[in-house]
Amino acid sequence: MSDTPSEAPVKSILPEWVRGPQDFVGGLAMVAVALFALWASSDLQGMHGFSFGAGTAPRMFAVLLLLLGAAVALMGVLKDGPAIAAYSWRGPLFVSAAIVFFAVSIRPFGLVVSAFAAFLIAALGSHETKWVEAIIVGACLTIGCALLFPYVLGLPMPMFPRFLIQ
Amino acid sequence: MDLFANLAHGFVVAFSPINLLMCLIGALVGTLVGVLPGIGTIATVAMLLPITFGLPPVGALIMLAGIYYGAQYGGSTTSILVNIPGEATSVVTALDGHQMAKQGRAGPALAIAAIGSFFAGCVATVLIAVLGAPLTKLALAFGPAEYFSLMVLGLIFAVVLAKGSVLKAVAMIVFGLLLSMVGSDIETGASRMAFNIPELADGLGFATVAMGVFGFAEIIRNLDHGAEMDRNLVQQKITGLMPTRKDLADSTPAILRGTVLGSILGILPGGGAVIASFAAYTLEKKLAKDPKRFGRGAIEGVAAPESANNAAAQTSFIPLLTLGIPPNAVMALMVGAMTIHGIVPGPQVMQKQPDLVWGMIASMWIGNLMLIIINLPLVGIWVRLLRVPYRLMFPSIVVFCAIGIYSVNNAPVDVVLAGAFGLIGYWLIKHDFEPAPLLLGMVLGPLMEENLRRALLISRGDWSVFVSRPLSAVLLAIAAGLLVLAVLPTLRAKRDEVFVESEG
Repeated sequence: MSDTPSEAPVKSILPEWVRGPQDFVGGLAMVAVALFALWASSDLQGMHGFSFGAGTAPRMFAVLLLLLGAAVALMGVLKDGPAIAAYSWRGPLFVSAAIVFFAVSIRPFGLVVSAFAAFLIAALGSHETKWVEAIIVGACLTIGCALLFPYVLGLPMPMFPRFLIQ
Repeated sequence: MDLFANLAHGFVVAFSPINLLMCLIGALVGTLVGVLPGIGTIATVAMLLPITFGLPPVGALIMLAGIYYGAQYGGSTTSILVNIPGEATSVVTALDGHQMAKQGRAGPALAIAAIGSFFAGCVATVLIAVLGAPLTKLALAFGPAEYFSLMVLGLIFAVVLAKGSVLKAVAMIVFGLLLSMVGSDIETGASRMAFNIPELADGLGFATVAMGVFGFAEIIRNLDHGAEMDRNLVQQKITGLMPTRKDLADSTPAILRGTVLGSILGILPGGGAVIASFAAYTLEKKLAKDPKRFGRGAIEGVAAPESANNAAAQTSFIPLLTLGIPPNAVMALMVGAMTIHGIVPGPQVMQKQPDLVWGMIASMWIGNLMLIIINLPLVGIWVRLLRVPYRLMFPSIVVFCAIGIYSVNNAPVDVVLAGAFGLIGYWLIKHDFEPAPLLLGMVLGPLMEENLRRALLISRGDWSVFVSRPLSAVLLAIAAGLLVLAVLPTLRAKRDEVFVESEG
């Protein structure tokens, strides 16, 4: 369930009667998650006799979440609450990009390249980054991790790009 | 009595060189995270989970435990010296501690915090040792129905004691329960909500979700405020560590009360160190002859919460070790650590793994001693660490976490999933949903399902088994009562009041 709803522009769209937009949208998102789970577990076997099937518990929890989400959303209608907080794009974007880059590059390029590059990509997430400093620290961290994980901790992982080794 | 034999055995285990080293590393790392704001205990324990793979189980758990209580020490140091609580548990310490520092009494404040923590740590260690065996016996009398009801009670406790909306906290627990359903069904082996992704067949990794929701989400959130957090480093000379006789006389009862309160709140599910420190501070303020002194450098305001958070950090191991039920998110991660090493948490651990349990208990005492040594003389070094700017820290944490998650299963998909949970966590924080109950729900999910199924199977589908068995009925009644109380306006007001201090 990696579908993260992004609610940034919703603020202006929401009608007048929503008094607590934060709760309202939050509750609706939970309802959506619950509906998704109900759909995803719909092919599983339910109760047979008095014993649980594979799908019983997931559906039970999904229904519970559905009700709770609806209740949270209802609170957003009935009670005054905070507006939806502002989202920034820079941090989430570059931190996620660094993570995804690392995941994609670790197998083909090895730890040294992917860790160093991921460090620099993540560093883009802040406008206060000073590049000389970041490159030095990134290099030190990469060396540290390259020693720590495979040698000290004995966890096997590729070190250098595949094409260089062969 | 077995107790002393057990403890002696524990000390033999804990004093082996490797375990001493692990204990020291745990205490050091704990202090480090405690000192550094922007990186929490939960994220650190999650981050270091994969590292413990190569270690023997006893050493691994000793180290992870050390991080948890070590962070309570470290957090107080920066609270007092620079008014930056490194940990949520030290927020209240900053109120009076920093005032004391401004009045040139940083030394006594630090000393009292350390003494209080050490005392509380010692008491909690003994408490774990004493309560361990009888609680385990009780746990063995539990059937599936009782277990299920106990977990319901635990989750309700977590909700009642948590900050913010009760409804939203319950929703987060259920979200966690739902997430725990992903993967293979234990009984039938059917694949549930895995969408034929092979990496999901075993379920969502616990470390993956924890690292995403607590590690990555926290970083992204911190970046919102700009990387340079306001850190006015008042590097005062710390003169005279020794508290005066009056300081000691004032703080002794506060330390005692804080220890008792912290110990109790630590055992209760959902409690843990944060709530303990808040509650202890509130209690001192209520009991004080002159409550106005609080917030202006009252030494009780340092002594009580620091004792309480340390006591609670340690006693929260009791339900984990005896019942196999984690009372808070850090303990939930400890369950993960135990599972990684093939240990199933529960009452049988005490009997089957005496080395582990008693070694860990003994190591806590040793760890506390180490912490007092690490913290007081080295205060200057820890404070200098605050100079490490966040703009360099956050990419390092991102990379370290990514490597850590990858190393768990050598699966790139896990890294991507953690990133996705980072975004989900960020969204949750933005909508004022607390991620801690989610984690607790996720850990308890499979346990709850299993016990629910078994209870119903034994009762041949009769749901009344939960109320017809007396023990289970009592547990459920307490849970229901608590929930009602939590929603009632009078208690709500009190509960919110406890948290208001942090805004000061």
